[in-house]
Amino acid sequence: MALKNLTNWLLWAGLMAAIIALLGWGARPNMLGLFIASGLAVGSLYALGGIGIVVLYRATGVLNFASGAAGAAGAMTAWQLVAWGWWPPLSWAACILVALVLTLAYGRLIAPQLAWRDPVVKAVATLGYALILLGLVSFLWIDEPRSITLPTDDVGVRLLGLRITATRLIVFAASILVVVGIWLFLSRTRVGLQMRALANDRSLAALLGIPILRVETIAWGIAGLMAGFTGLMFANLIRLEPVVITFMVIPSIAAAICGRLESLLLVLLGGLSMGVIENLLTLDPTLRGVRPIAPFVIAALVLLWYQRGARLTFGGRD
Amino acid sequence: MDPRLFRITPSGGWGLALAALAFVFLPMVSTSYWLSVFTSAACFTLALAGVAFMYARLGMVSLTQVGLMGVGGWVALRLNHAYDFPFEVNLILAATVTMICGWLLALPALRMRGLYLALVTLMAAGGLEIVFATFQFPNGGEGFWGVQTGSGEAFRRPWLAQSPENYLRYVIVCAVLGFLLIELHRRLQPGRAWALIRRSEAAAIAAGVNVTLYKTWAFGISGLLGGAAGALLAGSLGLLDDGTFRASESVMLFALAVVGGARHWLGVVIAAALYKVLPALLNLWGVDADLAFVIFGAGLLHAVITAPDGIAGQILGALRKKGGRNAAG
Amino acid sequence: MLRVEGITVRFGGVVALNEVSASFTAPVSGIIGPNGAGKTTLMNVMSGFLTPVSGQITMEGQDLLRLPPHRRAHWGLRRSFQREEIADDLSVFDNVLVQTDHSRTPSGEKRREVARMLDLVGLGAMAERMGADLNTFERRLTDVAKCLVGQPKVILFDEPAGGLSVEETHRLGALIKAIPGESGAKVLVIDHDVDLIREICAETLVLDFGRRIAFGPTDAVLADPRVKAAYLGTEEVGA
Repeated sequence: MALKNLTNWLLWAGLMAAIIALLGWGARPNMLGLFIASGLAVGSLYALGGIGIVVLYRATGVLNFASGAAGAAGAMTAWQLVAWGWWPPLSWAACILVALVLTLAYGRLIAPQLAWRDPVVKAVATLGYALILLGLVSFLWIDEPRSITLPTDDVGVRLLGLRITATRLIVFAASILVVVGIWLFLSRTRVGLQMRALANDRSLAALLGIPILRVETIAWGIAGLMAGFTGLMFANLIRLEPVVITFMVIPSIAAAICGRLESLLLVLLGGLSMGVIENLLTLDPTLRGVRPIAPFVIAALVLLWYQRGARLTFGGRD
Repeated sequence: MDPRLFRITPSGGWGLALAALAFVFLPMVSTSYWLSVFTSAACFTLALAGVAFMYARLGMVSLTQVGLMGVGGWVALRLNHAYDFPFEVNLILAATVTMICGWLLALPALRMRGLYLALVTLMAAGGLEIVFATFQFPNGGEGFWGVQTGSGEAFRRPWLAQSPENYLRYVIVCAVLGFLLIELHRRLQPGRAWALIRRSEAAAIAAGVNVTLYKTWAFGISGLLGGAAGALLAGSLGLLDDGTFRASESVMLFALAVVGGARHWLGVVIAAALYKVLPALLNLWGVDADLAFVIFGAGLLHAVITAPDGIAGQILGALRKKGGRNAAG
Repeated sequence: MLRVEGITVRFGGVVALNEVSASFTAPVSGIIGPNGAGKTTLMNVMSGFLTPVSGQITMEGQDLLRLPPHRRAHWGLRRSFQREEIADDLSVFDNVLVQTDHSRTPSGEKRREVARMLDLVGLGAMAERMGADLNTFERRLTDVAKCLVGQPKVILFDEPAGGLSVEETHRLGALIKAIPGESGAKVLVIDHDVDLIREICAETLVLDFGRRIAFGPTDAVLADPRVKAAYLGTEEVGA
């Protein structure tokens, strides 16, 4: 088992090195470094989105298609508050708060009604919620170019001879901290243990007397916080546009797939790899135009790799 | 041949009657604005039929049907500008190519079920969106991608259906043929196999059903219908725009299939109407089209939570109850 | 004779079946054991849903484990699951017809055989009823009819009497007992209802914790103290 994992790791490392070498051939190391750094930032966004999805999915069985929409609502709220003259840090807090409230509302009011149904059904329902949120947000704010700026956008940090904006560094650091933080939470705290029990087997957890509602609420809360933060960062680094932020959930799901919807570390690595490869494709004249396709192709290949040799198996309880 | 193969159920009878009515009257009463809307709706009805039957009969979620429509549209456009084939040939070739894409999509699907399968189709939708956005749709230019700047050449419509009115009729007929194709499958071996696969793949295998074959075949049919719908849409509009085939549209199409009611032809028609007619109506009434999203979302939540058979299911359920009361009272 | 030789199944670290062997010669044989013993696992190996780490299953010269799962059905293996897997969307007739869809027999002949088997199990009048409209017993009977079409060689029943009343269990038991005579197929039955097993099975295999602890004529097996210990436990003396 350990050996199989080792080959997977080596394969991934080898492939990444090969791709970087292939695409970066002939480019100045500085250039290459910048592309990789920027790719890591975008990849961190994918990873953060994916982490939020995976944490919630493992605890509740719900694949939250509405995480992007909640983030979009939060980001637009933040923009609006700044436009009204609020102190920016408060508006960022508002962004996260709005996303949190919207996500929790779904988690407490709607999700329980679908608690024991098929995961596909639960995911489809979040889709409905995403459409509602998207419709409301699009309705409230007319379609025009907007942006959210953070003070760290202008701050440059010199790292390994490269100049990287502080925002990008923050996003990257955040993705790592979140993974570590959640890992500590799941493995060291009581609630974390309960959440792992719930993720493992919901029916058994219920029988054991684990307070399902409380644990799930916490999971929804974490998801909401992450949606808010990711939405804000996405609005800053990519684009502040409700539809775009709403459907960033799709590459987030791509990152989540890399983690097999269960391993946060793999989601992080998957997301980062996707971001880097997508950015590096800019260096290739033929593939430059289609580079946004990178996350999807990678996710599809990863999924096929995980499922290779899998046959329908029916363990069956005796 | 079992004569029961050709029997028309009451529901089928109503469907054919509605189609006949639409065939005769719809083009007569529509302005050019509405002709275009209804033709669009009819094309998407065909595509929706593909999504709906996969979900209702096999429990498989396809989040990439609009993307597949794009493939069909692309092939039809490319063939139209490259060769002199009549429309029908382009249509058949486009549908066939998309069917093969459906088979390719089935490959990962064979090893996955439920949510993972839906996610794979979502990844495909995302990929197709990028491809269309990057390479656009053929409009008479050179090279494989066939795109040139400026306006393109005309798209040749079917000989029988040059005018917008007749084209709408043509598309309605194609949609009906699509439904009949699915119904034919349902009445024969594929339908039985699919029903058993839906219940339990293990049971299907134990019954000697070649699950791989029938799942792949279902994806193929779904692709066939989607590709045909895309080609028909190309014929209606003359040129296709990549914005029509985004991943979000595929997701929306599936959502509406559930809202309308995937099990019944009426649900598919309702879904197409919601997708194309409702926004047109809202536009006409000066209501913000964004509210359509809210309606769709609420409808989807409602359908998922309380009405698994969608709007069609609720309508038919109410009719059945009324019929029962009439018979008893 | 259905020969099971040295079947071992592992799930990660758990050994679900441990060198299980038995040669089933009786027309109807039983497989019993406490929960988790491996009974369904053994049937899943026969059906092809699980691959054993080692072992063989042969009948009439055919090595079953070599055949892909859906080909075992073509060969003549039939499986009835713990939960009756009857498609809600299909009629009773169609549910049974699926079993023979793969064969090249002319359609008319297939349909006549389906009708005959439905009459045999007592569902002749309900052929057009939808799967969703059947009760548990009718679903089980449809299941049985499905197992009978297409010249079956081995029929596996996994807890067929689950959810049935005493009366229905009797009827089902009589039906199962008559199967070898009707179709020439060998029948294996898993059940917890010891009376049913005693009634219809001439020989029985007992499993516990994945191991065979007894095999032979049913009465002898049921009287075996080791079997009783497996079900009821033993008394700890001086504990």
